Amino acid sequence: MAATAMDHDGGEVVTPGELLGNSSLLAGLGAYADGRCVRASITGHRRLVPPPPGSTDQRSTVEVVGHKAHGAVPQPGSVVIARVTKVMARMASADIMCVDSKAVKEKFTGMIRQQDVRATEIDKVDMFQSYRPGDIVRALLSLGDARAYYLSTAQNELGVVSAQSITGGTLVPISWTEMQCELTGQIEQRKVAKEATIGILDKR
Amino acid sequence: MSAAATAGTYSPASSAGEKRRERKEELRRHLAEDADWPRADGRSFHDCRPAFMQTGPTTAASGSAYAEFGKTKVIVSVFGPRESKKAMLYSDTGRLNCNVSYTTFATPIRGQGTDNKEYSAMLHKALEGAVMLHTFPKTTVDVFALVLESGGSDLPIIISCASLALADAGIMMYDLVTSVSVSCFGKNIIIDPTSDEEAWQDGSLMVAYMPARKEITQLTLTGEWSDGKITNAVELCMDACSKLCDILRERLKDASSLAE
Repeated sequence: MAATAMDHDGGEVVTPGELLGNSSLLAGLGAYADGRCVRASITGHRRLVPPPPGSTDQRSTVEVVGHKAHGAVPQPGSVVIARVTKVMARMASADIMCVDSKAVKEKFTGMIRQQDVRATEIDKVDMFQSYRPGDIVRALLSLGDARAYYLSTAQNELGVVSAQSITGGTLVPISWTEMQCELTGQIEQRKVAKEATIGILDKR
Repeated sequence: MSAAATAGTYSPASSAGEKRRERKEELRRHLAEDADWPRADGRSFHDCRPAFMQTGPTTAASGSAYAEFGKTKVIVSVFGPRESKKAMLYSDTGRLNCNVSYTTFATPIRGQGTDNKEYSAMLHKALEGAVMLHTFPKTTVDVFALVLESGGSDLPIIISCASLALADAGIMMYDLVTSVSVSCFGKNIIIDPTSDEEAWQDGSLMVAYMPARKEITQLTLTGEWSDGKITNAVELCMDACSKLCDILRERLKDASSLAE
């Protein structure tokens, strides 16, 4: 299990607990520092990443990549894409579909509370004027309580990114509170995310 | 008194329990001789059964593993990390949920196929220390172990198999956990006992071990042990665990190279 230096994807396969190197390396993804050595925490290929130019720490980072890791898990502070499933007077529930840029494999329930919809005039929010079931929402995640994750859309870039009107046409954003149906021209109320156009999803 | 009412006497057949006595007698002879008697499957005291392990038998699970040690056959499926049940209390770190169950046909006497609460708790204790629970906050990883056939040393095999399944699922771990048990017969220690041997043992010791980190995650000692033998037995188990772990690593590397 000697740490032979290989810095390409086809590096040797390592398994959890195997020694990757000593403290002259930094632990990256799939690795952890254990006292004076660095060990793997998942199965995959060992890879060395040279330090970024200009950084004070001149140590390389060792990471384990390539093999299957478990599905994405909502982490506090991550930006998620969720589909609204239910709108109630004080909150809306949504199923989390993506965490950052990764799709989740399992079902995770999020909750947008009334006070988390927007940053200003939070007590005057009408949930039914902000979200509708089926809307795709970009939101900031926090761990919430035992029942659900809390989702917040209290930022300009957060809110509805894609929605359908009652008639089934695509809604086009016209202001940060309104969207217009492509087919009928009818205006519907939403908490719209800034730059809510198709193709924005992978921007982060 | 009439003849019909006379109390009839009865006596058990002289051969009752003879087989049992014979076996016990034989065992006692062996113990007295302190000899390396042949075990039922032809192993010597410090030989483990050949270990067959494989990853990925359950396709629906995030990760799974199958283990076959002699007659003992175990399948472990790992699900998640997925959302914790609503009834559970809030927790910042992840949870590990372990469940061990037996099939109805696992034992020679047809059972109920019930969950084994004790083994579930012990499996949880053995794995808990090896899994990086902080990497999946608020979510649960479910570990379901199913014993297809019980042939002795069930729990150690479940533990080793579960750690292989967790690694297959890509759950972050500090190290793989392997487990081996020994039985104590008088002055002798035999490793990896079968169910027959477990039924006759004076005492047993099970060690769950993280070989790369040289840490014991669980140690269970039962029955009668004489002085000085326990240290020896623990060392024996730890060495066997390291060797079993090499097999696990090999399997994981095979699986990873097959995937490409």
